[in-house]
Amino acid sequence: MSALRPLDKLPGLNTATILLVGTEDALLQQLADSMLKEDCTSELKVHLARSLPLPCSVNRPRIDLIVFVVNLHSKHSLQNVEESLCHLDAAFFLGKVTFLATGAGRDSHCSIHRNTVVRLAHTYRSPLLFCDLEIEDFRATMAQRLVRLLQICAGHVPGVSALNLLSLLRGSENPSLEEAL
Amino acid sequence: METQSEEQAVTKPADSGGEGGPPQVAGAQAARPEDRMTLLLRLRAQTKQQLLEYKAMVDANEEKTPEQIMQEKQIEAKIEELENEVEEAKIAFEMKKLALDRMQLSTALKKHLEKTDIKTSVLMDNMKQILNLNKLIMKSQQETWDLEEKLLDVRKKRLQLKQASERKLLEIQTEKNKQKEDLDSMENSDKIKTIQQNLETEIQITTVIQNVFQNLILGSKVNWAEDPALKETVLQLEKNLTMI
Repeated sequence: MSALRPLDKLPGLNTATILLVGTEDALLQQLADSMLKEDCTSELKVHLARSLPLPCSVNRPRIDLIVFVVNLHSKHSLQNVEESLCHLDAAFFLGKVTFLATGAGRDSHCSIHRNTVVRLAHTYRSPLLFCDLEIEDFRATMAQRLVRLLQICAGHVPGVSALNLLSLLRGSENPSLEEAL
Repeated sequence: METQSEEQAVTKPADSGGEGGPPQVAGAQAARPEDRMTLLLRLRAQTKQQLLEYKAMVDANEEKTPEQIMQEKQIEAKIEELENEVEEAKIAFEMKKLALDRMQLSTALKKHLEKTDIKTSVLMDNMKQILNLNKLIMKSQQETWDLEEKLLDVRKKRLQLKQASERKLLEIQTEKNKQKEDLDSMENSDKIKTIQQNLETEIQITTVIQNVFQNLILGSKVNWAEDPALKETVLQLEKNLTMI
């Protein structure tokens, strides 16, 4: 049960692998299906996991992007994500980790405050995306974004690297965090 | 205690016409070479990018990270510093790229201009259009500036008028107050009192004299109604002086 390291394996030719981590199996499956429907010049591989660490026994390709899905309706999913984060190598946080918060649409059901997730993302210096995965259209849009992110993190887009993208995504986040603090 | 986590893998082969992997070799030979070239070029770009990333990681790992336990605030500060450094490096790179692009563009432009006939080139039309637009922009900006100046002047004048009217009103008010004070003080002054007293005594004396004359005339049992001058005098004596 070692920590997941980003560049310990060689990349497959024209292959990009994404790992979706979250407690909501149905949502993850739907998101995976939407992503696979997207038009993409590289081969996509989507892995789903409920939590880290992943069992070593499976032979899996190099993981290019990890998306932690937090459901704002359940505290359990946040806890699960926080526990899983410990099993990641620090090198992953240089742009290969994203947080995705779902369920923000129905405010009355939310048991986790938005700021908690924002602060979590800020602590780990990773981008945070909001999406209501239950709605078809939003899911499709988010799938598009994730595919694009994945391509960049896998190195399929010349001139843009994961770290580059990270600093590009960072610009819009800071003002809201400072006013929250 | 090991946590059993489920893992599922879903895969999808590459998409879009022509750019399939090696299995899709079938098809017209004429169309394929182009697609294969594109595929190969794309794969080349990918591999280059990935190689760059690995190299960067290797270089990064050569730097020793400080292992000491620092306060969280310090770590945050350090991280911010490093992020700023990354940003600065990016900006510097972008600037250099921009400068390089500009130089390349100007050389290409120069070469092109040397070759083509200046009068009829589309480039010259574009440049003329650009110049015209720039002139228009400058004119509009000048007009905007003038209008803003006028607006500013009008506002200044309004402010001045406001201030002047404020002052005038203040003056009027002070004048009124002064008058009221004078009036009040006048009523209470001693001079007025002495004058009033004198007036009263004079009135009393005159009333006494009036009564004396009245009684004299009536006592002399003269028929005062016949003589008009005497009548007038008697009637005059009836005047009550306190009413004046």
